[in-house]
Amino acid sequence: MSNIIETEGLSKQYGGVYRVKDVDLKVPEGAIYGFLGPNGAGKSTTLKMILGLAKPTEGAITVFGKQVNSKNRLENLKNVGSLIESPSYYGHLTGEENLRIFQTLRGVPEQNINDVLKIVRLENQQHKKVNQYSLGMKQRLGLASALLGYPKLLILDEPTNGLDPAGISEMRELIQSLPQKFGMTVVVSSHLLSEIDQLATRVGIIREGELVYQDSLTKLHQYSQQHLAVRTLNNEVTKAFLSQNGVVWEAEDDYLIIPQMKDTMMAEISKALGQNNIGLVRIEERKKSLEDIFLELTGTAVSL
Amino acid sequence: MSAAIGMEVLKAKGRKIWLVVAIMMAVQLLWAGWAISNKDANDLAQGWMFFLYQFPMLNCIIMPVIAAVVASRLSDVEHKGQTFKLLETIIPTKRIFAAKFVWGSIYMLGAALGQLAIMIGMGVVLHFGGPVPWGALVGYLLFTLMVSLTIYVFQQGVSMLVANQMVPMTLGLVGGFIGLFSMFFPQSFQKLILWSYYGVLMQVGMNWDPITRATDFYWKAIDWPGLGLILVFFGLIYGIGQTLFVRREV
Repeated sequence: MSNIIETEGLSKQYGGVYRVKDVDLKVPEGAIYGFLGPNGAGKSTTLKMILGLAKPTEGAITVFGKQVNSKNRLENLKNVGSLIESPSYYGHLTGEENLRIFQTLRGVPEQNINDVLKIVRLENQQHKKVNQYSLGMKQRLGLASALLGYPKLLILDEPTNGLDPAGISEMRELIQSLPQKFGMTVVVSSHLLSEIDQLATRVGIIREGELVYQDSLTKLHQYSQQHLAVRTLNNEVTKAFLSQNGVVWEAEDDYLIIPQMKDTMMAEISKALGQNNIGLVRIEERKKSLEDIFLELTGTAVSL
Repeated sequence: MSAAIGMEVLKAKGRKIWLVVAIMMAVQLLWAGWAISNKDANDLAQGWMFFLYQFPMLNCIIMPVIAAVVASRLSDVEHKGQTFKLLETIIPTKRIFAAKFVWGSIYMLGAALGQLAIMIGMGVVLHFGGPVPWGALVGYLLFTLMVSLTIYVFQQGVSMLVANQMVPMTLGLVGGFIGLFSMFFPQSFQKLILWSYYGVLMQVGMNWDPITRATDFYWKAIDWPGLGLILVFFGLIYGIGQTLFVRREV
């Protein structure tokens, strides 16, 4: 599968400080790429650089196989729809007039206005001034503007920000339907792990401007597999014993974390520890939650 | 480009910008009526020159206010709706600047034509002496437009770069007052102030006799170096404004 977006060593400095550093983003065609990270991690800056709204300090961006520069930027963006940070709209105009402006400037058929209004379910509100829209409706209008040209790539920065649970669910359903219905590749950023977990097929996690994880969501889930935590009266001797018997361990507080194993194997370890006069006092089954993994990767409390 | 200008027209819908221009023209009309009301037949013989002297002076304050309001009204819709970040992914940033300039210029042209209509209308109705000085009136239109567009592009640049529209509005008003008061200073000083050029490019001069308190107007030669300088100012301000707008990051 080819990559729709590829960045290489993408970096951005503001006032001598790196806000984005050496980011190698790879967004496969047809994916819903969840770009996850705490607030201020560099998500919006990275997406703005891809859209040419901010100039990279270092690094290269390739979109649709072409390296983006100031000359071919708009040509490349013809197949890209975007919603960055918050929806762009003219509050004193109606929803339909707003879409007419962007449809005319994009040079796409007028019929697309009605089509995208239906997609985002705003057809009954199209003649209302956007200032009278709720935040959810404004977000849907923003999505409609991004969809006007039926782009191959859709970049959505925090599209559920400020929405109530019903609005979040509605926006999620909309985004999820796009790759199947229109063959779009979607990049969606969020600081909400739960949001990306329910939406993305591939995930990139950014922390303090650096990409700390990039792979499938399935693989991220694998990190959350069950493991065992054992506590003995002499953990130091137990460590040596486990190592001698080829069991990988990791110390965590008063516990030794070992991989999940068969009951017979655990029974044998327990028996051997007893024979060596090491009292086994606790065996617990533990599972790392996705939140724990996110916390480890980003070093910040997860937003739920 | 035509699509971008067309969309500026749509964006201006309901913004009541023409109303602002009309109000300012009404002020100018009232002022002209008041200024001419106490003139006798002798004074009216120089009516055309009187207007061509007084209107540029009034323009020092009227046109900068119109320019500031128009530029601000056209730009604040973009700031409020955070639309620049979307527009810049669709059309070249230079085109956004240019389209706004073209549409804003239409309002400035409207205001200048309105003034011309006031002058000609009052001149004909009040039977000013001599034939209508079409050459001077066309010159007035061109010079007013040239100065006004230069001030407008300055206002547009600031309005597009700064989200808080109080900044360009204040600059516009302060500039207008500086322009008005600079008329009491030598021409060399006036030429340093953008807002003074309505006075620099005046085609009429005035002699005032402090003993008889009589005024006498006379035709002045066009200040070609002044005209050249305002053209340079225009080019510089447009270029700088556009470059800053293109270079800034959203």
